Amino acid sequence: MNCNVSYSSKFRVILPLLMCLTTLSAQSDNLIESISGEMEHFNKVATATKQNEHYQPYIISVFQGYALEKLGVSNLKEALLLVPGVDMATDNFNNQTPTFRGSNSVAYGQSKLFIDGISVNNLFFDAYSEYLSFPIEMIKRIEVVRGPGNKIDGFNAYAGSINVITYAEDFKGFESNDKLVFKYGSYDYKMGGFFKTYKTDNLKIFVDFFYQEDDKKLYAGPDGLSQGALSLLPVIDNRALSQTGDAPLWLKEYSLGASIEYKDFSLKARMLEHTKGSAYGINLALPQESDRVKLPSYYLDLGYAKEIGDFEVNINAGIKYDAFDSYSKLAPDGLNLGVIFQDGIYGEHFAAQQTLYQSSYLKYSGIDRHVITAGYRFTKEETIDMTSKLSNRATGDVELVDYTDTLPFFDKNAERNIYIFSLQDEFQFSDDISFIYGFNYEQTSYKDAGLEPRVSMVYQMDSENIFKTMYSRSHRNASWQEMFTMYNSARVGSTDLEPETVDAFEFAYIKKFSADTYLQTNLFYLLNKDQIYNSSIDPEYRNVVDTDIYGFELEYRGNLSSDDELYLNYSYVKGKSYTQDEGRSESTPNVAHHLAKGYYVYNLGSNLSLSGVVKYVGSKDRVFGDTREKVKAYSAIDSSLCYRDPKQNYSATLSIKNIFNTDITYPSAPNTYIEDYAQEGRTFLITLKKSFR
Amino acid sequence: MKKTVLLFLVFVNFAYGYSYDDLLLRAQASIFPKILLLDKKIGDKLIDGRVIYTIVYEKNDYDTALEINKFIDANYNGHFNGYTYKINLVEFSDLSSATRASVIYSLNSDRYIEKVADFAKDKGIVAFSYDIKNLKAGLLFSLVLEKSTVLYMNKENLYIQKIDFVDSLLRMVKFIDKENS
Repeated sequence: MNCNVSYSSKFRVILPLLMCLTTLSAQSDNLIESISGEMEHFNKVATATKQNEHYQPYIISVFQGYALEKLGVSNLKEALLLVPGVDMATDNFNNQTPTFRGSNSVAYGQSKLFIDGISVNNLFFDAYSEYLSFPIEMIKRIEVVRGPGNKIDGFNAYAGSINVITYAEDFKGFESNDKLVFKYGSYDYKMGGFFKTYKTDNLKIFVDFFYQEDDKKLYAGPDGLSQGALSLLPVIDNRALSQTGDAPLWLKEYSLGASIEYKDFSLKARMLEHTKGSAYGINLALPQESDRVKLPSYYLDLGYAKEIGDFEVNINAGIKYDAFDSYSKLAPDGLNLGVIFQDGIYGEHFAAQQTLYQSSYLKYSGIDRHVITAGYRFTKEETIDMTSKLSNRATGDVELVDYTDTLPFFDKNAERNIYIFSLQDEFQFSDDISFIYGFNYEQTSYKDAGLEPRVSMVYQMDSENIFKTMYSRSHRNASWQEMFTMYNSARVGSTDLEPETVDAFEFAYIKKFSADTYLQTNLFYLLNKDQIYNSSIDPEYRNVVDTDIYGFELEYRGNLSSDDELYLNYSYVKGKSYTQDEGRSESTPNVAHHLAKGYYVYNLGSNLSLSGVVKYVGSKDRVFGDTREKVKAYSAIDSSLCYRDPKQNYSATLSIKNIFNTDITYPSAPNTYIEDYAQEGRTFLITLKKSFR
Repeated sequence: MKKTVLLFLVFVNFAYGYSYDDLLLRAQASIFPKILLLDKKIGDKLIDGRVIYTIVYEKNDYDTALEINKFIDANYNGHFNGYTYKINLVEFSDLSSATRASVIYSLNSDRYIEKVADFAKDKGIVAFSYDIKNLKAGLLFSLVLEKSTVLYMNKENLYIQKIDFVDSLLRMVKFIDKENS
């Protein structure tokens, strides 16, 4: 009995203790599970937003839109000019294009632009100049991968890729405020725009819209006629008709973007209507002020994304439309081409392209330490409309005659299919070392790129020292212009072109001084083969140039005190091009060997900041046979004062760009405009923004 | 060009200090309170029956401290898993032995981190740090967004007579010490 009482008594003591311990243990388990879940969530957000960029297996620079706004950066182009190793080039269309680490400035498609994951390079040039004016206030983040970088979803970035993320991006706990913005600046620049999100449990609708225009014109000339353009020397000489004056570089554009998410389905769409002045003239004759080029860009993408256990599936299909639409006076009054054009030559050129695509990717994470991704992407590209009209070639009469069937400027039946299969394994070898290896295999209805491997390793020695090494092969398919241009004395297309290829060897070391302060060093060596080239002597495009490029980049981000922010980068690039059919080597032309950029923001209080942006671009060698002096180096300084009212959620920024009115020029091609293309001098910009929670 | 490179190097040598990553702030504000609850001796640290979550900051970082306060309140709504809590915003310069704290979270400072470490040691409380570099100065935990999210702990700063974490937490942290990060 006593024994029973004793057992009972002990039981009464031990049982609550056991229950208490069990409850505590269960609570601890729940907490640990909750912490693990949160860590995974934040890891997903950090990976998607590239916050953990230093641990990713590519060389990337990330700029946040709000930070750029504080600096007075106005648009995507100005933002890209802050990126290490990135410079800007232009041509007689003012088809501006960023160059990466000395990439070929006229091979526009060597870099790719993505807006919210959609590739927006136009088919005609494989360029994206129409998006360079995209206002910074509409951009949440810009991620710039230098080198072939991240081969995902079957895209081939050759020299670099730019991922623009709008405020359509949304993560739980990181919702964006709605925003209204107005800007006014030099050249009578006016801009207005907004974005708004509507959200319920299962549905999210995001809309952004902006309109902007300016009346910019910059002095240019003498135009290309002075160098023999539109002459048949020595028989016909029109050089005396050469003009000097203001090149129409005005802009008028609007854009409407939408993003809809419903459960596992998504829709992304954008309509960009971009119209600009005809710049320096299609035929290198200075155009009239009202002459214009339209480069519209529309896309619609439908997506389905689902996680099922260890599997994640992503299926997308979409359509893109872009066009080259030019109406311009192509030659001055009195031009002699055997026939005298008393009132000059006018032209209307229109080529519309359509791209259809479908892709399916499956990610499997069921094998310990491995994440395997496999999938395909099919793309069908085609010209869907083309017209070619000119003043009467036979009589010299100014009225336009339709030459679409007899003398087309472009192959109206142009089309190309591309099939890409990708396989990649992300292997976490240990806590400190991870590998990514895989390949893309590509076939097209013309020349194939074939198998292109990639392997990379990230070694995190400790929390302060990270090493990366990468090898990848990538390619650029010939652009529509290089393949299908017809009846043009300066450009002759060829469908026999092989893809340009690049073998990239990259190494990076990152020293982290603190959570937000680091110094990154990158080394790169790029072997470019079969680069596409033409010249005024042989205007047909052909694969004849091999270029080896090497260099390094330094990038620092940090502070001097608790009241400021400092960002600096420096890049050095050197290379040699070998032109096979001419048997000559030359230092890579039109490339600045030295680039240095940086900014400094000083917070005068919690609501007021003063900032400065500095850019240095070194001198550039000319192309072979061009006897002009080197393109001059320049340094430019911008400054901005930014006021923010956190209670009323508005901000005002005053910016002065190029304070010292430095001469900034982008090189003109030989035998075109004898002077390089001058860029803006000192300008101002006022920005007003209001956020709505 | 030489001048540019020289200027760059000079800036790097002078460059120190801090700024805040919004995502990292939120991750820490979300996760640190849960780690606190894994201390088996949390009951000893209650003040007036509540957890006093003290955030220390430099004067110019008041807005950041306030944002963290708002984020924690929005996430936890007054209770850390059954314990009521109060958030106490304190400037580094005002931190003293009279400061009430069950736990302390330190934003960045180039002058006061050791003071925070001494305060935590004296009180026998957990000290969280925004920046991992402050663990070398004596703070206990930091969270870093690396390839995955990593919780760092300086075990030299674990005063086990007053702080006793459950084993499962110690299995998930990455240890560093004062000499080797």
